[in-house]
Amino acid sequence: MDLSLTESQEMLRTTARSFMQRETPVDVVVGLQKAESSLERDLWAKAARLGWLGIVLPAEYGGSGDSLSDAAVLYEELGRGPLPGPFFSSGVLGALTVLEAGTDEQRRRILPGVATGETVLTVAITEPNTSWGPGGITLAPQGRNGSFVLNGTKLFVSDATSATDLIVAVRTGDGPTDVSLLHVDAKARGVSTRRLPGFLSWQCEVSFDNVQVPATSLLGEAQRGWAALSRALERAIPILCAYIVGGCQAVYEKSVLYTQTRVQFGVPIGRFQRVQDHVVRLVNHLDSARWATWEALWKLDTGRPATASVHMAKAVASEAYLDVCNAAHEVHAGMGVLIEYGLPAHTQMSRTLFHYLGDPRWHKRRMADALEW
Amino acid sequence: MDFEVTYTEEQQRFRREVRAWLEANVAPSMLRTPTSAEDNYRRYLELRDLGRKLGAKGWLYPTAPAKYGGGGLDVDHAIILEEEVDRFDLSLPPYYDSGGRLGSASILVWGTEEQRQAFLPPIYRGEVRTWQLLTEPGAGSDLAGVRMTTAVRDGDGYVIRGQKIFVGSDNGTDRIWMIVNTDPKGKRHENLSWFMIDASLPGITMQPMELMGTGGEGGTDSGVKQTVFFDDVRVPAFALVGGENKGWTVATTHLELEHGGGGRIGRNRVWDRLLRYCQETKRDGVPLSQQQDVRDSLADIYIKTEVQRLFGLRNFYLTYARKPKSYEGPQLSYYRKTTGLWMTGAILEAVGPAALTTDPAWGAPSGFLETQQRNGIVSVHPGGTTDIQRVQMARRIGIGRSTREKAGTVHGAE
Repeated sequence: MDLSLTESQEMLRTTARSFMQRETPVDVVVGLQKAESSLERDLWAKAARLGWLGIVLPAEYGGSGDSLSDAAVLYEELGRGPLPGPFFSSGVLGALTVLEAGTDEQRRRILPGVATGETVLTVAITEPNTSWGPGGITLAPQGRNGSFVLNGTKLFVSDATSATDLIVAVRTGDGPTDVSLLHVDAKARGVSTRRLPGFLSWQCEVSFDNVQVPATSLLGEAQRGWAALSRALERAIPILCAYIVGGCQAVYEKSVLYTQTRVQFGVPIGRFQRVQDHVVRLVNHLDSARWATWEALWKLDTGRPATASVHMAKAVASEAYLDVCNAAHEVHAGMGVLIEYGLPAHTQMSRTLFHYLGDPRWHKRRMADALEW
Repeated sequence: MDFEVTYTEEQQRFRREVRAWLEANVAPSMLRTPTSAEDNYRRYLELRDLGRKLGAKGWLYPTAPAKYGGGGLDVDHAIILEEEVDRFDLSLPPYYDSGGRLGSASILVWGTEEQRQAFLPPIYRGEVRTWQLLTEPGAGSDLAGVRMTTAVRDGDGYVIRGQKIFVGSDNGTDRIWMIVNTDPKGKRHENLSWFMIDASLPGITMQPMELMGTGGEGGTDSGVKQTVFFDDVRVPAFALVGGENKGWTVATTHLELEHGGGGRIGRNRVWDRLLRYCQETKRDGVPLSQQQDVRDSLADIYIKTEVQRLFGLRNFYLTYARKPKSYEGPQLSYYRKTTGLWMTGAILEAVGPAALTTDPAWGAPSGFLETQQRNGIVSVHPGGTTDIQRVQMARRIGIGRSTREKAGTVHGAE
């Protein structure tokens, strides 16, 4: 048993943290919030040079072949921002989906560009029905002259406005999991992307209006898309959870500091047990999310059955981030809702990721199924 | 990270040895639910006998130093022992021995060499059972406010006078590990002292307190606690551990362990049985576990027990790897207590009124759910209330006071 990070993970953490402190202090994160695209070119190029965009990819596809736990160390740091950008969308979920679903030729064609940052992927799963299961995938391509034609809408697609390539889950049969994955050029005629307005972070609408997709864009085999996507999600979700853990950690540190420095009634507000209770609630959520996430990562990296743990981690982390932010707002009061203070970026992200890739209720039910109750 | 102990061939052999020994020495009758007070006492004697046998092998306190009669085993072997004992729904020690567990740890850190040699071997070998005595009518959460029970120096010993409440369990004790006031005019935190004394000394009397919980030897879940009266009890000066008026320092070790700082590994016994019950019990012809609302409740209950397990595992790791701790001990305690309390409602909602009866026909097997309904509430207070745990956490996080409080020392001479 060893619940500490390895030496190389500690180094990665240090590198990532100093990068974040230098390149993306609070004012930068706040400044990016209103951009239509989450991708900031300069940051993206630097991240690519550090090898962060191919961190989950094997060396043969241009990646660094690191473990999921290694990637999680990095994403915890990114989550502290919370740093916007299609890091997870492209470098984790996109990359793993192509890795799981694509033929070797497709992997060799697509993945090296993901690692260098020239290709930016995002995976379009859910639709206006907002289901994250295979039943919610209703967008059905029409076959025409050996190619596909897409008409319809994908919703809550992360970072689609900065993507160069879309992986689109489509319905290709009547069976419950008759789903296929198409690799679609985001600039293809008839594709339009739009960041959804409101209290959510770079969740986008992707519309397809008579989009012609060549037959060769089918990733792997038809009808095998859901199985491949499930495998990719099982490995990607704990890394998203690590990003959430980083967010919770940052909000916790902000809140502790505030209780130590904000003076009311002549004393730091941390003197008041009512205020302490918020911090206790916060750190309990933080640690719940942290250890649920890391146990899932450990199971995946050591080849143990991990499905139930992954579902649990996402449920726990999603609930944690939401209520961590709630507790922080109770600690911070007026200061907490000032955009420039930085807490609102976390609050908005916590709401976004609560639903993204499945909300807690959905994951708890999948967990119960996986445990074969 | 590695969440599991990897066992060597030698350790696997040790596991087989332990398992075979336990199967030969744990009688099924030890695991029964007592049917009467007399039966409860008979069961207690059987468990004590098992404790002595375990103690003779060094398995009662496996990681305690061998030179004082402990097992001298490393943590990996101790985990194997705990896991194997846990298979029988027992713990180490297999009876309530709070003063043995926490007193011995405190004596290892703060006792003199002579005291270690005198006090520790009988505990580690299972020859004595020890209760801890902390709470008084006027000092519960405020342990530093102990003043009703005093010890006054008199010649070559001390005379103890006063009263302690919420003590021990049923069936009596051999030894007493207690904190008393040794300087009624002294400053707070500088007026307390610990004693390890014989429970049969003249002047000590006990009176049972009936609690809402159930079980005679369930430790903190016990249905019976005692009021203990000290009427000019003469004790030798040798019984004073850690120095006169140094009791608050000694208490940091005791409380760190009591507040969960030692961590825990092992499964949740209520969960396993709850799931089995829900799979085997039908409502409207459908197993409870197949009904969506019950499944949702079960998922919430499962996740809380899993998080509690992870917190326990983390604290266990921090302790044995000798990593610095801050708020983790009281966090585990807080989480365990609030989860148990919350779970009473969650289980009642999932299972319905069958959770409330011990009736063999209409309740859950051997009344285990009814036990949880009671003990989930009773467990909120022993070892510090949920609010005390939160206060501890805040101090160690470093808010509320000008200096951050440190976790207590739990490692002593080995």
